[in-house]
Amino acid sequence: MHRVGFTTTIPLEVILAAGKIPVDLNNVFITSPRSHQLIEEAEVDGFPRSTCGWIKGIYASVLEEGIKELVAVTEGDCSNTRALMEVLSLKGVETVPFAYPHDRDAESVRFEIEKLMRHFGVGWDAVNLSRERLGRIRRKVRELDRLTWEENRVTGAENHYYQVCTSDMNSDPDRFEADVDAFLAEARARKPFNDTLRLAYIGVPPIFDDLYQFTESLGARVVFNETQRQFAMPYDTPDMVEQYRTYTYPYDIFHRLADILMELERRKVDAVIHYVQSFCFRQIEDMIVRQKVPLPILTLEGDKPTALDARTKIRIEGFLEMLAG
Amino acid sequence: MQIGIDLGSRKAKFALLDGERILRLADHDTVTFYKRYGRLAGDELELDLAASGIFTPDELAGATVVVTGYGRNTLALRGARIISEIRAHVAGALLQTGLRDFTLLDMGGQDTKVALVRGEKLTDFVMNDKCAASSGRYLENMAAILELSLDELSLHWEDPVKLDATCGIFGESELIGQILRGHPVERLCAGVNQTLVKRVMPMLKRFASETVVLTGGVARNRGVVRLLENETGLAVVVPEHPQHNGAIGCAFMGTGN
Repeated sequence: MHRVGFTTTIPLEVILAAGKIPVDLNNVFITSPRSHQLIEEAEVDGFPRSTCGWIKGIYASVLEEGIKELVAVTEGDCSNTRALMEVLSLKGVETVPFAYPHDRDAESVRFEIEKLMRHFGVGWDAVNLSRERLGRIRRKVRELDRLTWEENRVTGAENHYYQVCTSDMNSDPDRFEADVDAFLAEARARKPFNDTLRLAYIGVPPIFDDLYQFTESLGARVVFNETQRQFAMPYDTPDMVEQYRTYTYPYDIFHRLADILMELERRKVDAVIHYVQSFCFRQIEDMIVRQKVPLPILTLEGDKPTALDARTKIRIEGFLEMLAG
Repeated sequence: MQIGIDLGSRKAKFALLDGERILRLADHDTVTFYKRYGRLAGDELELDLAASGIFTPDELAGATVVVTGYGRNTLALRGARIISEIRAHVAGALLQTGLRDFTLLDMGGQDTKVALVRGEKLTDFVMNDKCAASSGRYLENMAAILELSLDELSLHWEDPVKLDATCGIFGESELIGQILRGHPVERLCAGVNQTLVKRVMPMLKRFASETVVLTGGVARNRGVVRLLENETGLAVVVPEHPQHNGAIGCAFMGTGN
């Protein structure tokens, strides 16, 4: 079956209604055993050293995977995606732009979704059917999230993994749902964790692969993964347009902060890790996060897909020690 | 008695304290010290402190040992309690200055740390992350380009030549360009010192206090201290043993404080 790649969360319902296989290229890149080489390949092809690792990783993943059609989010994510789209179009990849309007205007969101539907030749009936199908899986993942913060039976890394996978349902919704079911059954039977500290992780997903394990080895568990939870569409909404309007990630920082502040309180979080990607515009937003979030914040910066480096570990340890008093 | 050890990127620093009283301080070049007295046993670093001659056998037998430093989460030092650098430096500054509220600026070989201390407690901190152009190593490199000692470099602060390079290595060729233009060496030294101050200002501004406590090897640079006072408009306190502050802090933590 024909695979459709994308650069960040898009209305997955449309891709599935069209009978295509969705592929979130971020997930392909970060789970590849060659992730580090993929970055190098992109740099050899001419991507500047000083651009986002995710953009470079997506570029090389598209080529490696032989993806022929790509939905690129040109508004609501970074402008690097535009250049990525242009470069890939020269490599013969069909690129389909999708834009989240900055002001979250409902008409504009509807227009963008319908444009995507026209491109893939599907109507609302089919799309709403796949929305129901996905809604069932998303509600299960929401339960997994609840087990993380309310019952303390799920680790930060597990919470991260299952939520981040919902962007493309691991390219196979049925199999992913079975995975979630099996995990939920196992997690429900666990003894609750006994953490000394409860952390929130906000910002784009980490490019490091051992952050959660490291904080947990020091007694601090992540009980809130901000954007990963957003990928799983955690709200009950009456329709698709509203669903993608409520989704916070592609809109302004203040819309995100409203969700963040509510969850920090609900989940009784002690401190926040704000992850930013090197060379990302969201590094600037750290200033606003620090003004608006009334908890201790550690800002971590990641560049390439590696384990945590010694410096970052020193900073995390210092932060957790400080919190422990 | 307590022994404190701070394994830095350039120097390994040692302190022997009796309670709050400093009995002895010492330092060695890190690489030389590791080569001579260090050895890996499994995941643990074994330092042959007895062979190093820094402490007497009686002191080694009787003292608690607390360690901090760069290798801390890749290496465990056998038989020692290990604490984070930030905690060590804050403890050292508390003991050495007697102050309760201050902003600590620690500038070492690679690290620059800024910590906010309120009521003797660490309340927030920030460290340089992806770049070490704001560290002592930068001063060493620039002194080498100017063919001066660090001591000579550290004398100057007046009328600095402007140096703008973001990168500490490109900064070297920028400095060579300024030498060719015929600027007096005093102004070039001041320019190098000024660059360092400019680079730490964004970190320092985040944690404003009335007093800045400056520690680490860079604190021995009087030009930097003067420029820092000018730039911040704050009182800059340099404790008596700035370079050994982390080791002193470790030893102080060994008392159970």
